Amino acid sequence: MPAKDRAFLNVWDDTVSGRDLLISLAIATLLSLGGFLLAPWPAPGPLVLGISGAIVGFLISALLFRPKRRLDIEGEA
Amino acid sequence: MDPMMLLQMLVAALIAVVVYTAIGVAPGTDETAVLAPVTLALVVAGIPLPVVLSFFMAAIVAKKLTDSIPVSVAGIPGGVMSAPMVEHALTLKREGQATLAIRKMASGSVIGTLVAVPISLFLAFLLTPLADVLGQYASQIFFLGAVFLALMSREKVISLVSIVVLAALIQALRHFYWGMGVIPEGRVVFISFFLGITIGPMMFNLAQLLVNRERRAMTVAEPKTIQIYKTEDEHKLPNPFRILTRQETASAAASSVLGSVTFFMSPVGITIFLGEVMSSWVKGTVEKASRALSSMDAVTNAAYIAGILIPLAALGIPMSPMAIGPGNAFFNAPPVLTLEQNAHHLMSFSEIAIASIVGAAVALLITYPVAVRYARQICVFVFRHIPHEAFLAMFFALVMLLAYMDAGVMGILGVMVLALVAGLLNRWGVNYGVQFMTLYAAPWLMGLLA
Repeated sequence: MPAKDRAFLNVWDDTVSGRDLLISLAIATLLSLGGFLLAPWPAPGPLVLGISGAIVGFLISALLFRPKRRLDIEGEA
Repeated sequence: MDPMMLLQMLVAALIAVVVYTAIGVAPGTDETAVLAPVTLALVVAGIPLPVVLSFFMAAIVAKKLTDSIPVSVAGIPGGVMSAPMVEHALTLKREGQATLAIRKMASGSVIGTLVAVPISLFLAFLLTPLADVLGQYASQIFFLGAVFLALMSREKVISLVSIVVLAALIQALRHFYWGMGVIPEGRVVFISFFLGITIGPMMFNLAQLLVNRERRAMTVAEPKTIQIYKTEDEHKLPNPFRILTRQETASAAASSVLGSVTFFMSPVGITIFLGEVMSSWVKGTVEKASRALSSMDAVTNAAYIAGILIPLAALGIPMSPMAIGPGNAFFNAPPVLTLEQNAHHLMSFSEIAIASIVGAAVALLITYPVAVRYARQICVFVFRHIPHEAFLAMFFALVMLLAYMDAGVMGILGVMVLALVAGLLNRWGVNYGVQFMTLYAAPWLMGLLA
């Protein structure tokens, strides 16, 4: 891993990497607003697609990035 | 109630249990921030109200049960409400009793839920005659509520000052949208302001990253280290009434009743207060901590359930920190629900009762055994596999979506301004309760001063 990835940021009570955070925000926002704008009207369609976009964004980021936490488990070396 | 509706309620409750069991364990997830946007989106999307209520109840009960897991397994709070319990859980851990802490807390949760649902419905039944009177003075009540919560908070002066300042900003943005012609004059934007306040602390944090000096202060060389305590595995299904001693059950039940009656107060404050009172006459380190944990977990459940059920079933206006925060969508989610025509008016008492019982029962039956048996495994899984970035991104996207829906690009800009101010105020100690009450009182208050 390159040296600059070694710095972590404290955001909302947990550590993240700036790059991963930016990419995650972009994915979720694009999918969510994109889903809303492209969905067929009438009413609940766009919102449902927008919300689904946010959830899909969550899943993609969860698969793409590793959490920046170190676990120190008692009873495991 | 027709069986299709009941089936939908069950499915909604199941989904809520799975999602909020994971969210409950994740560190730093605030109840309002994780529940309010989702509930709001479901209501606005046109999902039937009993189904949303069943989802919501299941989510609270599941989240409250799993909130305690990281407290007992890693000594970090899973949410704002579990912060006061960390100290007692650490006491048990030092005594080598981490497993005991989970069991005591989860059992307290069960008692709190079992006591709070009937008590809340009964209190709601008693308070119903007040609804008409309260409805007429809603704005004044919200203003007094804001002042009351400000005076009860640690930072009284800034909280009082912020009522007027925040109200001015909210009304300014509404008139800005009307003036720009992005929404028709007279239509009141609410949802995106509510969410702006909700994710204020997170947005403030994200904005800080753009400031060189602030970012350097937030940079750390090492990722957060989380210590997972050793716990014993539990194989058979533990009976919550057997885990607690008779005195602990009595304390937890009594705390739950008090927590339900004080539904209009800040739940965190009540939790700390009752936890200390209930454990003050207990001797012995382990016994004292056990008593405090079981009672506190019972109160948080009770305060949350009563805080949503009583205003919903009896009053029709969100007159508790819980109803005005996470459960807000049931009272005001334009264009589907408004203060004059909301879930209180559209749902019968029995629908509210059935939806709540279904949601709470599904969550208790699934989450309790899972939480007690697999506490450590759940914790390790979430910490190892779910990155914090994913949570941040999802909530950010949901808020952007609903802001765009409210008032287009101007809506997004407006929410950013509001979130920044709300986040700063939050950092200075102005709690959510004060800010939400102000949001409701803003048109009346500014009209008075104009």
